[in-house]
Amino acid sequence: MLMAVRNQFKVSLLSIKYAIMRELLNKVTFVTNIVFMILNNASFIIQWVVLFSIKDDFGGFGLKDVLILWGLSAMAYGFSRFFFKKAFSLSETINTGKLDSFLVQPKNVLLSAITTDVEPSALGDILYGYIILFIYGMNLKNFILLTIYGMTGGLVLTSISVILNSLSFWFSKTDVIADTGNSLMINFSTYPDGIFKGVVKLMLYTIVPVGIVVYIPIQVIIEFNIIKLSITILFTIFIVCLAFLVFNKGLKKYSSTNLMVARI
Amino acid sequence: MKKYLFIFKSEVMSDMQYVFNTFVGFIGYFILLFILFNLYSYLYTDSSEIINGYTMNQMIWYVIVTEILWTVLSGKRLCRKISNDVKSGNIAYNMNKPYSYIGYALFGYLGEIFIKAITYVVLAAIMGFIFLGSFPNLSIMSILAVLLTGVLATVISIMFIITIGLLSFYIEDSGPIYWVYSKLILVLGTIFPIEYFPIGVQKVLSYSPIYVVSYGPAKLFVDFSFDTFKNIFIYQLIYLLIAYLLASFIYKKGVKKLNVNGG
Repeated sequence: MLMAVRNQFKVSLLSIKYAIMRELLNKVTFVTNIVFMILNNASFIIQWVVLFSIKDDFGGFGLKDVLILWGLSAMAYGFSRFFFKKAFSLSETINTGKLDSFLVQPKNVLLSAITTDVEPSALGDILYGYIILFIYGMNLKNFILLTIYGMTGGLVLTSISVILNSLSFWFSKTDVIADTGNSLMINFSTYPDGIFKGVVKLMLYTIVPVGIVVYIPIQVIIEFNIIKLSITILFTIFIVCLAFLVFNKGLKKYSSTNLMVARI
Repeated sequence: MKKYLFIFKSEVMSDMQYVFNTFVGFIGYFILLFILFNLYSYLYTDSSEIINGYTMNQMIWYVIVTEILWTVLSGKRLCRKISNDVKSGNIAYNMNKPYSYIGYALFGYLGEIFIKAITYVVLAAIMGFIFLGSFPNLSIMSILAVLLTGVLATVISIMFIITIGLLSFYIEDSGPIYWVYSKLILVLGTIFPIEYFPIGVQKVLSYSPIYVVSYGPAKLFVDFSFDTFKNIFIYQLIYLLIAYLLASFIYKKGVKKLNVNGG
């Protein structure tokens, strides 16, 4: 079992490595994408500088706290889009019958399908997280926590995308639902939870788990708490397992479209 | 002009097949507005407070209008389409047709977003009324003026995005330039009105495209005056001319560099 997991991990890493090599064929574009993504993210600093010039705190967040919130959200987004880009267009893969080529491989279908491509600009998101950490206060503890939370956040975003995109096994036109679900997570994750009240706040820690992947991590970065750290890690394990379960359930219903395409 | 209207009509007819997507897509707009509603409710201690010349209701209506302009446009999709046309060589199929590529792209895209725009305007008006309980005080003439500036703002935005997409003639991927352009429009003109920035920045912004593609129609909607309308309308005509000349210049220079290998 462990051997199989190790082999699968190796294959996924190789797949990502070749995708990166493919993107590096045009180094100028690769670098431009990364640099401009960092600038793109940085533009939102203006928004918060303006807001903090009017009010001193937003839901208990100061400017630095909001910056690290943005940094973590960007990192989670970057991690998911860089390593698992195809998870966000999985419904297209399913609907167009492109899963066929992964079914014949002696490896995990889901992992093979979602690691075939990388998004170079997402590296800019990951780097932006570390740049913001420098502004916030770089030390070994914060570096490790941000890296762990970037990864858990990325895995949760990917898993939610896989679950919503897997609805394509049962229903049509679910790509719009998946896109909406993803934007729901991203939009809420860039604003402090203190500005939301009542039922909405409750939703952010349950149905839309932004609280668990972004707000709790920020609290842990500000003040370390092992229980809160465990909550995020356990939730990540749970949702990753759920994503595999839903996808595998759906896969049993999958039937090929006999589409003949060449994967280059 | 007839041929461009035909292109527009064809795209509208085609888009009508995907009305479901438009309605589901509105959920994304609703979420964004809901977050901004919470943000401004937090910022304003009470609804009568005035910050930088805007009450809370005016601020929310302002972002409702600017977010319609922003979301309906979906500029990323248009930029990618133009860029892919250039990179894949598809643009060559349009070069020998009896129309201008820029006109084709403009009217085609206007057709694509037409149904979406009407749907969003109606739903956003209902949503705004539910959130705030009232509409801004506008006459029929001022509503028409807001609609006119809104349409012009969309046309100018499309022209600018076509220009950015056409930069793919010179660089491999124009997407990153679009990201920065769009985020500047979003941060400097969509989330806040120009009055939220320091005086020096306000002056720069009032001469920038942000004034005509985002701020103008929204400002008229929340605080209409004929003088402001006249000013915004003239600026929009100037920017429309600039955007068209810029797109034409880049296109004409770019096609000379085009090299399509078979197909």
